[in-house]
Amino acid sequence: MEREDPSIRDLPSAPRPRAHELPDPQDPRTEWINEITEDTDITSLPTAQLYELNQNLLDSSISSATPLMAELAPLTVLRAEYEGGSDSFVKQIDFLISKGYEGIRRSRGDGDCFYRSLAFAYIERIFNAEDWGIAAAKSISTLEAFLPKLHEAGFDGMVIDESYEIPRDLIRSIVEPNPGSNNGQTLTPAQLLEVFQNDSQSNYIVMFMRMLTSAQIRGNPEEYEPFLTHPDLGEQMGVKEFCEAVVEVLGREADHVQVTAISEALKVNVAIAYFDGRDKDGNVEFVKFNKAIDPSEAPVTLIYRPGHYDILDRRSIEALPFNM
Amino acid sequence: MSDARLRRVNKEIADCKNDKSSNINIELIDNSPFHLLGSFDGPQDTPYDGGHFEVDIVIPDSYPFQPVKMKFITKVYHPNVSSASGAICLDILKDAWSPVLTLKSTLISLQSLLCSPEPNDPQDAEVAKHYMTSRTSFEDTARYWTHVYAGGPAPTSATPGGAVPGKASVAVRDEVAIAGLNKAHVDQFEAIGFERSKVIDVLRRLNYRGANISKIPDDKVVEELLKA
Repeated sequence: MEREDPSIRDLPSAPRPRAHELPDPQDPRTEWINEITEDTDITSLPTAQLYELNQNLLDSSISSATPLMAELAPLTVLRAEYEGGSDSFVKQIDFLISKGYEGIRRSRGDGDCFYRSLAFAYIERIFNAEDWGIAAAKSISTLEAFLPKLHEAGFDGMVIDESYEIPRDLIRSIVEPNPGSNNGQTLTPAQLLEVFQNDSQSNYIVMFMRMLTSAQIRGNPEEYEPFLTHPDLGEQMGVKEFCEAVVEVLGREADHVQVTAISEALKVNVAIAYFDGRDKDGNVEFVKFNKAIDPSEAPVTLIYRPGHYDILDRRSIEALPFNM
Repeated sequence: MSDARLRRVNKEIADCKNDKSSNINIELIDNSPFHLLGSFDGPQDTPYDGGHFEVDIVIPDSYPFQPVKMKFITKVYHPNVSSASGAICLDILKDAWSPVLTLKSTLISLQSLLCSPEPNDPQDAEVAKHYMTSRTSFEDTARYWTHVYAGGPAPTSATPGGAVPGKASVAVRDEVAIAGLNKAHVDQFEAIGFERSKVIDVLRRLNYRGANISKIPDDKVVEELLKA
């Protein structure tokens, strides 16, 4: 947009040193090119514009692929995908099936898969609890008690309220009919999935999970700082730097530190099945993060393939809506 | 869920209005809450001190999950701001954006960017080079731009005579001053018959100032002037 301040119109244009004639020439490509056609030489584009182009391509390739959260599928489907390949993966799937895991719920591989999968499995677990009323109340009280820590971590109050709203309403609607939506009914499995498949709502949930993780790390620097390393460079990072660059930015994958922190924040047991084809006998290692008040509480179980998390389930198909 | 975006932006605008302590302003440009005008004062003890800087803000469709688009409307002389378009090179406006950031916190980050340029990650390579080659000269130019475009005070260091006779002469005098050169040196080579602007460019390129002057023979300057 063009805005012209009349008060500056009459002034001479400021002299501009021709620094490009100074020694040590650097890349003079600073101006964005408005129209990019097939003939555009992309090397003539400024770095920032090139970055955005790449990012857009990446974004579109991810968004068109799989839903943010898929329906439950039998593990045998995953087995079929691996049958042409390494035998050790197939053995690992058989191992999981033998341990009673029949299904997998896939999430989109957009770097948020850990947070999205954990959030879904966490809420679904409340839904499926024997006494879901107590489970929901416990969860809400844990989250409410954590809110001050989000403020202490320095997040904007409005941002906290906004990101908490969706997970809170979801958990509440397991027990109480939500007058605002869902025709005054309690939550159904299909609606839970629908919320997680909706870009905006699903991302608000991911954002809330990331904020919990960040606040947990920021609030306990002595516990986490020794383990904070740059995901690509492996360099040691400070708490603030790590949280801002690795935890709070969407699309940044979660590693051991983040899994530990969020399990602690949610006070939940998390087990992660390492599905990496390493064990020749097909055993699958379950890495456990036991942070629930009751250590014997059944864990939320995820399956990790290098670079990606999905949800591991003991059922193989989606539950039928029982409360319709 | 575009309602969520509208709700958030409206809250952010209201929040900024209510917060008098940050001195960050956000206003509507047209009637859309997704195209805004942000503004703030230049930080103290910087060449931008005394200026008031306006920023064009566009809220993308998937805000806050995509970074807000910001560029300076006010011309700014800064390594990370395009001196022509106002485009800004700042990580949080690109891949380091997080939905926990707000319009206010982003504008505050822009304000801090004015305090601490990152010449190694420039938006305007020429300005960045100026910043790295001669800090004083860079600051003079930045101060001058602040005066001319952002309503900052007239740069006193560039007018050692005190009184400012007129705009035109300010510009002429400043051309030498902001290049960090001595007027006598420029006059000296101009007198030989070279164009004044060429003399300024060449002397700046040779870093013809301070202790350097004794190391640069006159014929080297003339040689460069002939090439220019």
